[in-house]
Amino acid sequence: MGFLYSLRLTRWGVAGFSALAFALTLLQSIAFYQVAGHTAAERAAFGRSMVQIAAQFTVLVAAPIRPDTVGGYVQWRAYSFFAIVFGIWALVSAYGAARGDEERGLVEQVLATGTARADALVVRIVGFAAGCIVAVSLAALGMLVGVYGAHESIGIDALAGASVNLLGLALCCYSLTLLVSQFAASRFATAASAVVMLGLFLLNSLSRQIDQLSSWRWLSPFRYYDLSQPLAPGGSFDVRGVEVLFGSAAVMTLGAAIAFSYRDLGSPLVRFPVATHQAVREPDRNIVWRVPILRGLYERRAGLGVWTAGVALLGVLMVILTKNIVEPLLGLTQLRPYFDVLFSGGIYPSFLGFIWFGFAQLLIAGFAIAQVARWSSEDADGRLEAVLASPISRRSVLIERAVALMIGGFVIATVSGIAVGIESHVQSIDLNQGRLAAASLLLVPVAMFFAAIGALLASLIPRATVGLLGGFAFVSYFIVQLAPIFHWPSWTLDISAFHLYGQPLTSGVDGTGLVIMVLVAAVAFVASAVMMERRDVGA
Amino acid sequence: MAVAALSTSRLTKDYGAGRGLFDLDLVIQQQEVFGYLGPNGAGKTTTIRCVMGMIRPTSGSAHVFGIDCMRDAVEVKKRVGYLPGDIPQFGGMRGKEIVAYFGGMRGGVDPKRVTGLCDRFDLDLGRRFREYSSGNKQKLGIVLAFMHAPDLFILDEPTSGLDPLNQQEFYGLLREERERGATVFLSSHVLSEVEHVCDQVGIIRTGRLVRVADLAELHRIRFHHVELEFAEGSDVPEKALRHAEGVSDVKVDDRIVTCTVHGSFEPLLDALHGAEVTNLVSREPSLEEMFLEYYHERSGLPLLP
Repeated sequence: MGFLYSLRLTRWGVAGFSALAFALTLLQSIAFYQVAGHTAAERAAFGRSMVQIAAQFTVLVAAPIRPDTVGGYVQWRAYSFFAIVFGIWALVSAYGAARGDEERGLVEQVLATGTARADALVVRIVGFAAGCIVAVSLAALGMLVGVYGAHESIGIDALAGASVNLLGLALCCYSLTLLVSQFAASRFATAASAVVMLGLFLLNSLSRQIDQLSSWRWLSPFRYYDLSQPLAPGGSFDVRGVEVLFGSAAVMTLGAAIAFSYRDLGSPLVRFPVATHQAVREPDRNIVWRVPILRGLYERRAGLGVWTAGVALLGVLMVILTKNIVEPLLGLTQLRPYFDVLFSGGIYPSFLGFIWFGFAQLLIAGFAIAQVARWSSEDADGRLEAVLASPISRRSVLIERAVALMIGGFVIATVSGIAVGIESHVQSIDLNQGRLAAASLLLVPVAMFFAAIGALLASLIPRATVGLLGGFAFVSYFIVQLAPIFHWPSWTLDISAFHLYGQPLTSGVDGTGLVIMVLVAAVAFVASAVMMERRDVGA
Repeated sequence: MAVAALSTSRLTKDYGAGRGLFDLDLVIQQQEVFGYLGPNGAGKTTTIRCVMGMIRPTSGSAHVFGIDCMRDAVEVKKRVGYLPGDIPQFGGMRGKEIVAYFGGMRGGVDPKRVTGLCDRFDLDLGRRFREYSSGNKQKLGIVLAFMHAPDLFILDEPTSGLDPLNQQEFYGLLREERERGATVFLSSHVLSEVEHVCDQVGIIRTGRLVRVADLAELHRIRFHHVELEFAEGSDVPEKALRHAEGVSDVKVDDRIVTCTVHGSFEPLLDALHGAEVTNLVSREPSLEEMFLEYYHERSGLPLLP
């Protein structure tokens, strides 16, 4: 497999993440000059407020250095976020290289040409590295454009340091996924890699709050990424940390190559013998296959179970964190008046509403996007054609999908809401149960909002749906962040589900937001039904 | 007269640049086994996907038992068993779950019939789809198409991936279904497959139907490979053979002559007049050879004038 072919396989990822990286650094640079003020005093005051805000979120993102400067601000707002974004990109891309291509028969073809297994793997990581260099360079360029636009300057060496650090993290995450994927069955490889990577991310981030974890954080690549903050004045470029990132990437790639050379294609390195069984000649007798909607849910029961348990566990974790973060702050009597003004609905519900339900919206949007991705792939892999060969109308297919997704979203929202409620009680956090139920159930229309737009995109351009819907979610999220800064008209906020969701835990349900969400979802589903009737399936 | 099992009227799907399907007029009567032949890219799958309502025709119409394939697609599919050219990917689902899923969607599937089909093709429904070989995936596709005993089978290259024994089993199954009263429309680029089971054959090329014929008619336009052996010392009438009407590809190797004879044997026998022939072997070409002959030598012309 040639290098150019490897690059070609990742071209969409390179294009998407490069555009994202460029847009994010550019917008954050411009945003800094919009909100930080122009005099030294204004910027110092802005920096102090940012430090106060950031202190509450060190559990997710490292504390900023000099956020009163454009370098410190962009390092915090963009490059900290890139750790997550590039980690996800590396995960998805490496899974494709390690196991996805195998599923498609591509690896077999490549090895049949006489290419050594190690070479095939190395070429893929080199291809990803090349794409990643493009993305980190564009991220740096975005910041340069934003800074020069304000007639200020930023050191090229600092930008180069931030770029190299990000590249090191991405390669480390990529090689980690390559390695983990060698040991898991193909259908579990993504989940296994994601669990390992999420664990390492949380190990680093939680160690900022939980002392017992700090002795283990050397295991996490995110720790070494955090050590370098070269964009901020006074920030450092930790050479040793970057060396560890690149070095561990090399070691893990070597480990993955060795494991790959010893395992059978399509199987994990360690394979347990398959138990012999009597040949089955009858269809499954479970009655659930005969019930519309339920059969779709039942088929996805494992995935739904994982989503439900995962979201509920994260909810519980966020409640514990809320308690750990807020309790010490309440002990500071000088902050009391500030809290009374800022958190009119009570500090715990306000904080929990922000930290948990803000995150839960992203998770439920992710759930909806995952389902839409499945709809798209059903079209591409011929499964939709098989369904439509049965006496079932296209409209029914769409309705069945939508209702199954709604029930799935309802299950996730309900279980996570109950888990958050129970843990809040355990932690002695007083929550309004009605509002907690409303806030949890309001996640269902958020899921339907994204699913409906996804269904419309899947009816129009199924192969580009996931990318476009992911982009839409990204824009929706940043509209909420950027519209107030850039004084965008209020209607721009109304196209973001994250804004329409409101603050139900403290302020109750925003009726207007809910109606808009439901209306958008209904219109998009109807439009997708019309498009679905007319389009060629599998074309 | 009973309504046609499948009919199309000027059915067209134009993909542009000369690709697609053009003005297809086809009538397949009930209980007929119709073979739809053509090379790759000729338009066979496009025809089938139009009839199944998966793609919308640019113009024209298709009917199954008199029911419009686009307007009443659901009604059509109640009476059709469909085997697509590419078996869908069902990932980690087990065979029994896939059959139950589509059986539940369709309703009225007799589990005994499923068991009978699985026994016949030795298909284990307990395995996951991704563990199936390509042959087993094809068998699963056959089970899904046949499990509800439909009135019409629409099968896109149904034996691809099956070993010869299972191919024979499949041909036997088709004959039984025809005896039951079902109609079969199967596409293929393997003429021997058509030879085994079909009553009628339609040949499609570059999106246009060039010929519909019954098997007897196809046999009439066949040619023969002939090998002649002359007695030692006897003259070989090479010149007369080369000039004989319908005789071509004459090759002389000492006393052995090979040639191809199109149509009647009379001109060949006339050319042999007076020669001492000790052996004559005539071999019928396979339908494949005949098909290729026409495609290569009569490019741009219909099969028959």
